[in-house]
Amino acid sequence: MLDPSGEDLLRELAPQVLGALVRRYGHFDTAEDAVQEALLAAARQWPADGVPDNPRAWLIRVAARRLTDLLRADQARRGREDTVAAWPVPAPGPATDDSLVLLFMCCHPALSPASQIALTLRAVGGLTTAEVARAFLVPEDTMTRRITRAKKSIKDSGVPFGLPPADERSARLAAVLRVLYLIFNEGYVGTTGPTLARVELSAEAIRLARLVHRLLPGDAEATGLLALMVLTDARRAARTAPDGTPVPMAEQDRSRWNRSQIAEGVALVSAALPSGDPGPYQIQAAIAALHDEAERAEDTDWPQIALLYEVLLDHSDNPVVALNHAVAVAMVRGPEAGLALLDPLGADDRLAADHRWHTARAHLLERSGDLDAARAAYLTAAAKTMSPPQQRYLHTRAEYVRRARN
Amino acid sequence: MKYMIMLTGSQRDFDMITGAGGSGWTPEDLAALHEFMTKWNNELVESGEFVDGQGLAAPVHTRRVSLRDGVPVVTDGPYAETQEVLAGYTIVECASFDRATEIAAKLADTPHPQSAQLANEWYVDVRPIAGAPEFGD
Repeated sequence: MLDPSGEDLLRELAPQVLGALVRRYGHFDTAEDAVQEALLAAARQWPADGVPDNPRAWLIRVAARRLTDLLRADQARRGREDTVAAWPVPAPGPATDDSLVLLFMCCHPALSPASQIALTLRAVGGLTTAEVARAFLVPEDTMTRRITRAKKSIKDSGVPFGLPPADERSARLAAVLRVLYLIFNEGYVGTTGPTLARVELSAEAIRLARLVHRLLPGDAEATGLLALMVLTDARRAARTAPDGTPVPMAEQDRSRWNRSQIAEGVALVSAALPSGDPGPYQIQAAIAALHDEAERAEDTDWPQIALLYEVLLDHSDNPVVALNHAVAVAMVRGPEAGLALLDPLGADDRLAADHRWHTARAHLLERSGDLDAARAAYLTAAAKTMSPPQQRYLHTRAEYVRRARN
Repeated sequence: MKYMIMLTGSQRDFDMITGAGGSGWTPEDLAALHEFMTKWNNELVESGEFVDGQGLAAPVHTRRVSLRDGVPVVTDGPYAETQEVLAGYTIVECASFDRATEIAAKLADTPHPQSAQLANEWYVDVRPIAGAPEFGD
């Protein structure tokens, strides 16, 4: 087994090695398999033989040899006469650019989000198929197929290995950021089951977001996304009780929030915002920063947060944003003002079926003193959620308001 | 060879755990359960026998699709309160049926509060997963 620093090194080198290979030889799909095998060979051999002086060159050499074998076997299968020329080991290319090109490829619009995520984690994140499968709690066979299909779609679409044309660039970058956001979200939501050997998806998403931020330091949304992730992850330790029940932000033990992550996130978002016309990730990061900076829940700058949600509403018709906006308004102008905004949102079928709308309503009804309606809303919310810890929280609240009423 | 270890429970058991109706489990009870299951799962990952495991949402969220006069109809929550139904499963890949049974038997120590009466007697089922005949069979 490779020690953790060795594993980090391998995963950092993975996209560089793949980039070098594809740039030199093409054949993205086969090259990706060859790099996986080179990474596995390194994980086997380095602990015994020691890390080579130039690990990157070692990996490129092994992967290139493997790629040659794979392509030869492929051609033999197809019964072609022409032989593959003996290839020299490519000189180190512009490593950083290659990682960005790979990200654009893996997040190609021809792929489904699930495929984009799987391929990004393997080709850019340097994870094995088994690790990606375990992280998403799906069987390894399923993940293998998902990745193979994704690579085939890329091959069929005939995308050349290079940055997308200038006119597509911003849309394609948005797709990359969206994939990283989804990876982070998957890790944040968390699942039960084994914790061992599960890659921490939120940590992986942060690592990849750092990479993008390093490659595109001037892109305010890339900075905003990294800030959002860091600021959200800072609250991780306080988010769940030992029995798995979620702890609402107002009741979290703020001494358990990660101070250095908060400082980093605040610095990032402060650097990004002045570039003007902030995008949704920057706005969400700014909101997260305002929460994180409040020493106590009652110190939260709700007027500013309500204002930011209003700006965010202009960017998307996501009903959850409208819901959060209503909650923020309630914190500024009282529960009745919040309910006035919240109630009409129930006309949206997406929200009426979502326990979050009923939960928010229950909280506001409780604060307004309408305990009967609050209890009913808590129970409805409990019936809508599929998560047992969430159900447990909601039943506890319902019981609490029932007692408060008597 | 792969085996599915199936855990069962009734809607009433789910309600006890999620506090519907107020009675049942304390946060400490649940934390102990959580810790026990995580450890059990992690040991299987460590031994390389873990394949897949999932917990299902409460039985009340079940939709049953059946045929009435040849037309598919949907019934929400088709189970009785105390009816035992699949609550979750773990698939293991291990050397023998006996080994799979041994793994399942460890679940007999699952912690639960003294006050929590199960609607039915506790059990867990182990079934081999039917696949293509193994090489050499």
